Amino acid sequence: MKVEVNDCAVSLFPPMTTVRHALLTAGLMEEVEAGGKVYDEWGNEAGLDGSLQEGAKLYVR
Amino acid sequence: MKRYIAWLLLVLFLAAFGRNAAAEQKVVSILHVNDFHGFAEPYRPFGSEDFLGGIAALAFEVDRIRAQGPTLLVSAGDMIQGNNWANLFFGESVVELMNEMRFDAMALGNHEFDFGLDVLRKRISEAQFPVLGANVEGLDLIRPYVVKEIQGVRIAFIGLVTEDVPVTTHPRNVPGLSFLPVVSSVEKNLELLRGKADIVIVLSHIGHAADRDLAAKVTGLTAIIGGHSHTRVLQPVVINNTIVLQAWEHGKALGRLDLYVEDLKVVRAEGRLIDIRPLPETPDTAVTRLVKKYSERVDARLDEPVGEALVDLDGENVRSRETNLGNFITDIIRKTAMTDAAIIGGGSIRTSIKKGKILMKHVYAVSPFNNYVVGVRLTGRQIREALEHGLSAIEDGAGRFPQVSGMSFAYSRTAAVGARIRDLTIAGRPAEADREYTVATDDFLAAGGDGYKAFGEAVRSSKDFTNVGGTLKGEKLVYSNSGKWERDVIIDYIREVKQVSPVVEGRIREVKD
Repeated sequence: MKVEVNDCAVSLFPPMTTVRHALLTAGLMEEVEAGGKVYDEWGNEAGLDGSLQEGAKLYVR
Repeated sequence: MKRYIAWLLLVLFLAAFGRNAAAEQKVVSILHVNDFHGFAEPYRPFGSEDFLGGIAALAFEVDRIRAQGPTLLVSAGDMIQGNNWANLFFGESVVELMNEMRFDAMALGNHEFDFGLDVLRKRISEAQFPVLGANVEGLDLIRPYVVKEIQGVRIAFIGLVTEDVPVTTHPRNVPGLSFLPVVSSVEKNLELLRGKADIVIVLSHIGHAADRDLAAKVTGLTAIIGGHSHTRVLQPVVINNTIVLQAWEHGKALGRLDLYVEDLKVVRAEGRLIDIRPLPETPDTAVTRLVKKYSERVDARLDEPVGEALVDLDGENVRSRETNLGNFITDIIRKTAMTDAAIIGGGSIRTSIKKGKILMKHVYAVSPFNNYVVGVRLTGRQIREALEHGLSAIEDGAGRFPQVSGMSFAYSRTAAVGARIRDLTIAGRPAEADREYTVATDDFLAAGGDGYKAFGEAVRSSKDFTNVGGTLKGEKLVYSNSGKWERDVIIDYIREVKQVSPVVEGRIREVKD
């Protein structure tokens, strides 16, 4: 499965396809630990255990 | 003529009366939650300063809204598995809670299957509300939809769960079940509901993006109340006249959908989320008593002995050298995944266990993270790269320091980063760079946690994933069980063997160059 985190492509594989796995792969968990939040492409906040679909776009800010 | 006039007047009177009656506006509130995962107590989310959620506060809000007018309370799935409050009772606590809160319906989520079908059947039989799954074949006790009549309005709820259930739970939890495509499942049940319902709502556990797709493809739905992606939909979107909602996760928000109905048709739909924060003072209600009852049972369960350590189990030095606790845990996950070897980051082991009785809470303290076991096929070269990464920050005491099973190696801490490994053996023989070995780890490391790249790179090269003998297998992924935390795997093992006395046996040796 391919998703994007902060406009960078990230490959995930089942069953490790949650927001948390995407952030780990992208090396961005520390930003969340520091208080950053994760949003989907429509601006909705996403929980770390949320499941992702092919083509999902996430933004950490 | 008189009779004709009388009939005409009667018809006009009935038409006028009927129109007035039908034009009366009714408001029905649909309250919804999703992905509760047993978070009954308020908690501080990762990266947050504040405590959020708490089912007592959520129930208080539900009761407040119920007192204002006609209300239904529903769930979009993933209720019974996740937190200790749920897991230690295989979800029984959550179903009791939902009964107490008088839920009207619930869709199955993928994690409802994590305890296996026998447990799920028991939970469904305990539920005093219908459990829905329109695209699930082979599971008795569930229904595709339910119709609730409230204020003379018939509201149907169709349940949906992700088609990926056999991937997201261990395949042995879903033997004989089929998970059908969601769009055709909804279309089929919409047809079945023709004439039986005035309003149709989907309770969906397929994720927000899929909900939007479903709304675009299927006409005739008033709302899709979602789950699975843990999305905090503050401003619901309307697609193809269907309002798409989701209420975040863990009871941190209560979703409220107000339907304004005239002539049995929705003329306006308003959705919003109500933030749930711990109550300043805990009221004495049935829900708070139930939360307390199970929280006390959690504490009691955590105090239960699971076995005995005949030696001290060292979790203090796991970031700098081989320890017997590191050996113990990696041996367990290697046996669980039936692999040649195992590697975990020392940082995943958080404390030691003293010689004597091992209580459940000791294991939970050692392994507090919600990580699960996976098995990956790596080449000898990739294993070496992984270990080199693990040894790359010994000076800092970094959590990436490896604990291993089924392999041994020497290393020099003064050698250059990336060239510290000496004498790597796997299964008692020198590692071969191009040979593939199966290696167990946890999903944290496999996804790239602590900077480990080898596992992810290997699995991403898999061409396909299939169910083989009840286990999800890819070309490179040989084991995964996302429904069982590593700590519970450890507890099961200790219960089985009763006494443990792991030793340091030279799997990781420091040498001087």
